[in-house]
Amino acid sequence: MEISIAAEKLFTLGALPITNALLIGGIVSGLLMIVFTRLMTRLQEVPKGLQNVVEVVFEALLDLIQNVTQDKKQALQFFPLIATIFLFVLFSNWAGLLPGLGTVGIYGEHNGHHTIIPFLRSTSADLNFTLALSVMVVLVVQFTGIAALGITKYAGKFFVSPLHKPYVIGTFVGVLELISEVGKTISFTFRLFGNVFAGEVLLTVMLHLVPYILPLPFLFLEVFVGVIQAVVFAMLTLVFLKMATVEIEH
Amino acid sequence: MEILAKLGIDWKLLLAQGVNFAILFFVLKHFAYKPMLDFLMKRSERIEQGLKDADTAKEKLVQVSEEEKKILQLAREEAKALIAEAEKDAKERSQKREEATEAKVAALLLEGEKRLNEERVKMLDGAKAEIAGLVMTALEKVLHEKVDSTKDQELIARMTNK
Repeated sequence: MEISIAAEKLFTLGALPITNALLIGGIVSGLLMIVFTRLMTRLQEVPKGLQNVVEVVFEALLDLIQNVTQDKKQALQFFPLIATIFLFVLFSNWAGLLPGLGTVGIYGEHNGHHTIIPFLRSTSADLNFTLALSVMVVLVVQFTGIAALGITKYAGKFFVSPLHKPYVIGTFVGVLELISEVGKTISFTFRLFGNVFAGEVLLTVMLHLVPYILPLPFLFLEVFVGVIQAVVFAMLTLVFLKMATVEIEH
Repeated sequence: MEILAKLGIDWKLLLAQGVNFAILFFVLKHFAYKPMLDFLMKRSERIEQGLKDADTAKEKLVQVSEEEKKILQLAREEAKALIAEAEKDAKERSQKREEATEAKVAALLLEGEKRLNEERVKMLDGAKAEIAGLVMTALEKVLHEKVDSTKDQELIARMTNK
């Protein structure tokens, strides 16, 4: 049993080391693209099968976004990012639960030990992905805020002159806001990583203690956690986006 | 930097994951979300339009059936009036015909009577003349003499006045 915080390297492609998490990220996003683009080419007026599910999910998501933003146009603007985060995080979380994940792999050397390097590892259980996603989300939030309010007004949220009404307090709050933008990135990164990685570790441990039956409840729990984390990530992104576009009142 | 390496953070992987997500985002945005949402919106519009159409159709149906009722009522009344008029007309006509027949019959009767009277008078006159002739011949035979016109007249007068 080998537990590694870092995603294990399988092989290198040119200068790029391909880790198992990157591999599964590619597979998940590839599958999502194939499934969705194929579905879109044969949309039917009376939905059937997968189209039904996709319609329900999309409509529920759009409804939720509209409830938060209270603005149809803004809801449609935010929808693609929120939906992509939700779908990709959800499926990469669930990908970590597939049987064989973490046990089927190449026999190789990792951190000086000879061990099995699993082929597949949930993308969300790799800090590279969660950090990349968090940074992108936070950047998008900043740009959305600037686009909605204009650069001076948006900057005014963080840089408050100490000569006006709340005086030094306002300035201090502004600085705190600025720090919290960085904090968002870190909390985003470690929340998702922590939950999914912990889940994988938990499942691995359980599997090694009692291989049958006992890991089942934990498997269900992890399915649930996968959904929750995807929803949390998407919702927080949505809320941050909305907050960035709203003018603060002094 | 040591801690980043320990956590497995590698800028190449970071970039790769970011690019992967960005590709997924743009592909889904253009080939999944846009067509799907457009499709859903179009369909909900169609459904709304359909419901509206159904409502107007229902209203029109009610309107039409009311109009139909009105027209039927009107037609019925008209028919009733027509029938009544026709009946009246027929009655009048039959009455007139009866009257005409009666008048004709009366005229025929009157003429018949008149003709009968005339005939009788004629017959009486004829009979009178014949009787007179007969009487004259009988008298001649009885008297054996020619009765002249004065005597004749006298005799006839005496006979008829008796």
